[in-house]
Amino acid sequence: MTANGWLQIAVFFVLIFLSAKPLGLYMARVYERKKTWLDPVLVPIERLLYRVTGVDADAEMGWIEYGAAMLIFSCATLLLSYAIQRLQGVIPIPLLNPQHLAAVEPYLAWNTAASFTTNTNWQAYVPEQTMSYLTQMAGLATHNFWSAATGMALAIAFIRGIARRESKALGNFWVDLTRGTLWVLLPISIISALVLVSQGAIQNLKPYDTVKLVEPQSVTATGTDGKSTTTLVTTQTIAQGPLASQEAIKMLGTNGGGFFNANSAHPFENPTPLTNLIELLSMFLIPAAFCVTLGKMVSSPGHGWAIFAAMSVLWLAGVLTCYWAEAQPNPLLHGVDQRVAQMGAALSPGGNMEGKEVRFGVANSALWATVATDTSTGAVNSMHDSYMPLGGMVPLVNMHLGEIIFGGVGCGIYGMLIFVILTVFIAGLMVGRTPEYLGKKVQAFDVQMSMLYFLIFPMVILGFSAIAVLAPSFGTSSLSNHGPHGLSQILYAYTSAAANNGSAFAGLNANTHWYNATLAITMLAGRFLMIVPMLAVAGNLARKKIAPPSLGTFPVNSTLFAVLLTGVIVIVGALTFFPALSLGPILEHLLLRSGISFA
Amino acid sequence: MSDLVFLAASFAFFFVAGLYVCGCQSLKGGGDND
Repeated sequence: MTANGWLQIAVFFVLIFLSAKPLGLYMARVYERKKTWLDPVLVPIERLLYRVTGVDADAEMGWIEYGAAMLIFSCATLLLSYAIQRLQGVIPIPLLNPQHLAAVEPYLAWNTAASFTTNTNWQAYVPEQTMSYLTQMAGLATHNFWSAATGMALAIAFIRGIARRESKALGNFWVDLTRGTLWVLLPISIISALVLVSQGAIQNLKPYDTVKLVEPQSVTATGTDGKSTTTLVTTQTIAQGPLASQEAIKMLGTNGGGFFNANSAHPFENPTPLTNLIELLSMFLIPAAFCVTLGKMVSSPGHGWAIFAAMSVLWLAGVLTCYWAEAQPNPLLHGVDQRVAQMGAALSPGGNMEGKEVRFGVANSALWATVATDTSTGAVNSMHDSYMPLGGMVPLVNMHLGEIIFGGVGCGIYGMLIFVILTVFIAGLMVGRTPEYLGKKVQAFDVQMSMLYFLIFPMVILGFSAIAVLAPSFGTSSLSNHGPHGLSQILYAYTSAAANNGSAFAGLNANTHWYNATLAITMLAGRFLMIVPMLAVAGNLARKKIAPPSLGTFPVNSTLFAVLLTGVIVIVGALTFFPALSLGPILEHLLLRSGISFA
Repeated sequence: MSDLVFLAASFAFFFVAGLYVCGCQSLKGGGDND
């Protein structure tokens, strides 16, 4: 680990801390429909949209109606994405499909539609070889906005549930969706896309370029008949496309689906160290601001900052562990050449450089892996499969905790608020009082729904992982490594899908009927079957009276609360997933130290 | 044919999610809103 590395990590966090308050207060104004400086431009567009779609912006919805609107919207947009992928080969607009890419295969199309609808952006395909520009823009980038705005709307509904008293309504889903998109996501994305273009990110509709290699390469390949053939490769195809606009919302909306297969390790997606920092900031920007929005809307700024503190501690623990693990050389690499890269030299700090982009190095890779899995982004600038076992365990643990360390846009804060309810409930049991959260009694229904929220998550991950591990014909046949690392690959895939993260451990061929279908179901369950109980809690909280604080009230804006909340998160996560982790990355770490690895 | 299967699967999932909403609501007992 180097001072330079820690300095970059510190700069990143300071910038997030400084941006949280202004953006959070702005978001509170947006969702409370108060005046903002963008109103002169955006209010006419908003009114036009409501007129065209017949939305009554003043009509409020209860939790069931709010949830139904969200489900209908998600179902419709899922089918739209599926249709665009299936029809991309026959839509007669050559400009939007200059490579003449054919229709996406049905299993893959459904998996991808479910993936982008749920904000997962799991990609079981190579985008530049599979998706036309039309699909990238109209089928996928649109979802980056919609799924992010949906998550934000749901978070606001939950916050209203806490803030309101004796109310049946949580707001209007269509209004929240529209305002989140127009006032928050679009303006920041436009600025971010322009900065990315200025740094070298591409934005065009050109056919792919073919260029001559400076150094022609000899490539030897073995055919199906077992014969080896050597070919001299003199040209390279360089994929093009409308990338910068998609990249900006990919990071800001914590979506993570790469325009190219290499994701943010590709020089067009992430051209410079400055774009690396901007993309890192984009992931935490809105989730961190949501802490302030919460504090403002529930009239308890200290509560928002207490949650921010708990998130920050967990983030720091993750980045510290990951950076430490990746800064170590791999003990199994003893060759002289590897030692130069791994052990460090005059101009290189060394460390586990396998799978790392040398432009970014170990510190920025570890920071990125932590941030992308704290949030539901899942974008990568290095390959997680090549991490040391404990380094690779950090992204897994981040997702296992439910992605509440800042988390996805919207879903991070509402996931955290469910943990808050559990914490308040446990604190209430400790002192023998009916638990109260900001003046509202937490009762049986709230706890039942919270537990449902917590149980669905491990159920889908561990259930499907167990089936895949026991099935050589369709489960383990997709693995590139066996032993504990193979278990990690399968566990990571289902965890990433259920947490709606979308990052891949790589190494697992997920483009099979089994994985495409079950991962799609996992993504849908991990999103919608968790949203429903969350909304039920919000609806129930909104109906309650607010009792004035008394001596027995547990203050939720204190350091003690932040410590207790952190403890509850760690204990729930550890108890649920520790057995699986001990058979995967922890066992792999111990075996690696004993000189044992698996092919 | 596959397209129809996935169309049906999508509707089925969201239909189940709708039933799930009703199931959650039905768990709500009386006297829990004080």
